[in-house]
Amino acid sequence: MRLRWLTALLLACGALTVFFPFFWMAVTSLKTAPEIQRVPLRIAPDHWMNLGNYREVFHREPFGRYLFNSGLIASVSAVSSLIVSSLAGYGFAKFRFPARDAFFFAIIGILMVPFQSVVVPLYLWVNRLGFLDTYLGILAPDLVSVFGVFLMRQAIEVLPNDYIDAARIDGCSEFRIFYRVILPMVKPAMATLLIIKFMWTWNEFFWPLVVVNSPSMRVVTIGLMSFTNIYFIEYNLLTAAAVISILPILVVFLTLQKWVVRGVVMSGLKG
Amino acid sequence: MRHWVRVAFPKTYMDRQRRAGFLFILPAVTYFSLVFIVPLIQSVIGSFHRTVPGGTSQFVGTRLYEKVLTDSTFWTAVRNTIHLLLMSVPTTVVLALVVAIGLHRLVSLRWRNVWAAMYFLPFSASLVAAALIWQWIYDPVYGFLNYLLSLVRIPPQKWLQSLAQVRPSIALVSVWVRLGFDTMIFLAALQSIPGEYYEAADIDGASGCQRLRYLTLPLLNPQIIMVCILELIFNFKIFDQVYATTQGGPASASQTVIMLLYDTAFKYFRMGDASVMAVFVFVTLLTVTLLQWRIFRKPVEY
Repeated sequence: MRLRWLTALLLACGALTVFFPFFWMAVTSLKTAPEIQRVPLRIAPDHWMNLGNYREVFHREPFGRYLFNSGLIASVSAVSSLIVSSLAGYGFAKFRFPARDAFFFAIIGILMVPFQSVVVPLYLWVNRLGFLDTYLGILAPDLVSVFGVFLMRQAIEVLPNDYIDAARIDGCSEFRIFYRVILPMVKPAMATLLIIKFMWTWNEFFWPLVVVNSPSMRVVTIGLMSFTNIYFIEYNLLTAAAVISILPILVVFLTLQKWVVRGVVMSGLKG
Repeated sequence: MRHWVRVAFPKTYMDRQRRAGFLFILPAVTYFSLVFIVPLIQSVIGSFHRTVPGGTSQFVGTRLYEKVLTDSTFWTAVRNTIHLLLMSVPTTVVLALVVAIGLHRLVSLRWRNVWAAMYFLPFSASLVAAALIWQWIYDPVYGFLNYLLSLVRIPPQKWLQSLAQVRPSIALVSVWVRLGFDTMIFLAALQSIPGEYYEAADIDGASGCQRLRYLTLPLLNPQIIMVCILELIFNFKIFDQVYATTQGGPASASQTVIMLLYDTAFKYFRMGDASVMAVFVFVTLLTVTLLQWRIFRKPVEY
């Protein structure tokens, strides 16, 4: 019994430690510049409702635009990923055709290709096609993910074939079966894929850093970097910007946590 | 070949079915070929060519490989990367195991969910945001960590600005970000272990330690291996945290392979050299993943 309480206590301490950086970020974002440089340090801000830093963030940088860019790119990538992945998942799960398994393993094999290994040719292609600094350029490698194909195949594979056969006997076309019979049965997997893909693209940094030049095309992760520089960082502004960048995803995450966990557990695939 | 002709021009019902299946996967296959397979091949080809200013490229054999692989800055980056992952991977996996087992033993489901959510929270933050928050905590003058140390009368440390502490400091950020992810995988695995196993162990009079050693850990073995490999891959590709905070400094003490690749390609525009590094990263991670397959293939005995 005592051991059980000890476990609970240690877990709680650990959880609070893990949570602390979030708390510290939020608290710092409510402080003024002199407050954060106060010695000795005071944890609570002088005014809990001091939102001056947030106003300053939007004033200094087009942060609204960054949020819009990130939201747009993450949404498009989530939806396109959902469409292509569920089509492919159905094809892999319920059809027989030559070299089907070879194709599937080739796609799974792509998981072993780190993105950084293809980034140079990809950049040269995007440059040649004139997509540098455009939404299309930022989206190019994010439109479909291997994880999605895998997830949808697993979800569709366990559905009984009888539904499909029944629809075929009724003269339903193959695409209509997919649209009307299969998709309604895998809604949980679809939700998982949408949420996880949205989160990944929202948090993406490496590729946007490569293709984005102009301030109007920046996404939030890149926008955050404009509040840093090597010599002097205004942490009250930086943390406010960080809160703004994390908040949307945090809301999505906390309300739909069940689905995110499902996705993580389902695969653990994204390396 | 005959198969494909029949799929392309179906005459029978079964052939039409095959064509339908192929059409369903066609968008995905096309996309992945264009975005991954073709660029990967081009990376390999590019690593044997030197692009002269003006745009023409010239076959130079393995000269770029000799150049990069004998360059001390490259090996410094490799060493730093390995040092980082040797610190962060075991820490993350062990901590995640401990937390998952602890969470699993909690009786109250509600509290289990609350604590689990807290451990999982950093997973939702971008690596850039995470690194920047930590940079503020690490701040040598006004940072919270030095404030904590001052409470126990330890002089302020320089953390990210110190040659000796920069790598452990960055490794800690990686641990913080990844802990929840790994915990979730372990927790799900623990919950799928049938309760009868533990009942049987109780009947046999197994102690808590014995249950852990002979029951829980062996049953979690596949997940532990998988998580180790995922963490290895993730930490080998470390970039965002370093770029956002130290940019490889001080004095290249936190320079990593992907940082070097990025700088080579997009700062100095030496695409050939960058391609060599890209091939190096690919081959290394491929080896790691294949090793994983070998280990996974071994049947786990219950």
